[in-house]
Amino acid sequence: MTHAEFIYPSYALTIAGLLGAVAWSFVAMRRAEAAVAKERRR
Amino acid sequence: MHRFANPARFLRIARVLTPLLTLIGLGLAAAGLWIGLFASPPDYQQGDSVRIMYVHVPAAWLASGGYLGMAIASAVALVWRHPLAAIAARAIAPVGALFTAICLVSGSLWGKPTWGTYWVWDARLTSMLVLLFLYLGYLALASAEDERHGGDPAQGKGAAILALVGVVNLPIIKFSVEWWNTLHQGPSITLTKSTIDPAMLLPLMLSLAGFTLVFGGVVLMRMRAALARTRTAARGRRLAEAYA
Amino acid sequence: MTRRAGLGRLRPKHQRLVLLGAALVALGGASALALTTLGDRATYFYAPSDVLAHAPEAGRAIRLGGLVERGSVIKAGVLTRFRVTDNAHEVAVNYTGIVPDLFREGQGVITEGRFGANGVFVADTVLAKHDEKYMPPEVAGSLHKVGRVG
Repeated sequence: MTHAEFIYPSYALTIAGLLGAVAWSFVAMRRAEAAVAKERRR
Repeated sequence: MHRFANPARFLRIARVLTPLLTLIGLGLAAAGLWIGLFASPPDYQQGDSVRIMYVHVPAAWLASGGYLGMAIASAVALVWRHPLAAIAARAIAPVGALFTAICLVSGSLWGKPTWGTYWVWDARLTSMLVLLFLYLGYLALASAEDERHGGDPAQGKGAAILALVGVVNLPIIKFSVEWWNTLHQGPSITLTKSTIDPAMLLPLMLSLAGFTLVFGGVVLMRMRAALARTRTAARGRRLAEAYA
Repeated sequence: MTRRAGLGRLRPKHQRLVLLGAALVALGGASALALTTLGDRATYFYAPSDVLAHAPEAGRAIRLGGLVERGSVIKAGVLTRFRVTDNAHEVAVNYTGIVPDLFREGQGVITEGRFGANGVFVADTVLAKHDEKYMPPEVAGSLHKVGRVG
């Protein structure tokens, strides 16, 4: 592949950004919803 | 409008949609990027560099589409005082900012092998950078306002007004390549035609659809997190008052 | 119920809607005005016709863009001579340095530099501009032969 030194970093950055956004938001959601569920059980 | 105002109804729908959008979106994006990287032809002019299009264009679409969504949510929050709207606008902002940054960096990595430069101050690139600053300004203002109002996003108006003022930048981004001479090329896909070969349009469309669904899923997750935090905070206040 | 004049007659929700609408119209008008005034100054480069119509003084740095005229490219070591055309007028350009991969006859180009006393544009930078068409080489080959310069 020509210009691989430009193509791979752009893919790596984008995929990291996409998965990072999913993981970060998922953890925030689970943590916040778990706190609500815990209070409700009390 | 008020049929969707009910957070309980929103949560019921969001619980179904969140995994659906995220997982289908990740699948489509993976297929699009795989085909884009390994199973699509090089371009007759650019060779393999054209593969950067399959990450750059979805990022650019989410950057400006996300901003439009944030602005509409802000307008609804200002006019109808709809609590979910303010939460939606705040949920979109950091994700939109992320994709704007990805758009700028991937565009820069595409520019060097094709144009011969990482950056120029032409109208398209400059207006895209302005979009990033609008997102960052919104995020800073929203967090300052929410802190002042005890974490209630429905109270502040400044961030929503900033989001609406920034909307003028969207047509500037869109039409910059037509109004002015720019280094960036004109649009390849319009309502009536596409100047992209079908073999390249397939991975682009898969990736566009996938990224958009994931964006939706992530925004729903962030809205659910915000709603849950509001509940915990409200309960904390009630308990504090009861024991005071 | 007493009927009040103007905005006060409306329910608060509709008041806010009208205010927001008016603000957006004002904002749109102001931006359109600003953009019209900005006009040409936001342009990244000038076409040969612009440059020939309002000739910049020799020695002032400008950007000149257009298509690399077919058959105009002459290479002599690191020196590249070519003509930039907008299909109406053309300007002769001299450039010393390495041209980008996409620098080809018939393709877009943007050069930065200044006019010499002899009317030849001396470029310090050459950027390749590509168009909005994307296709595999086989498809392009069957449409027309793409000549690669250099």
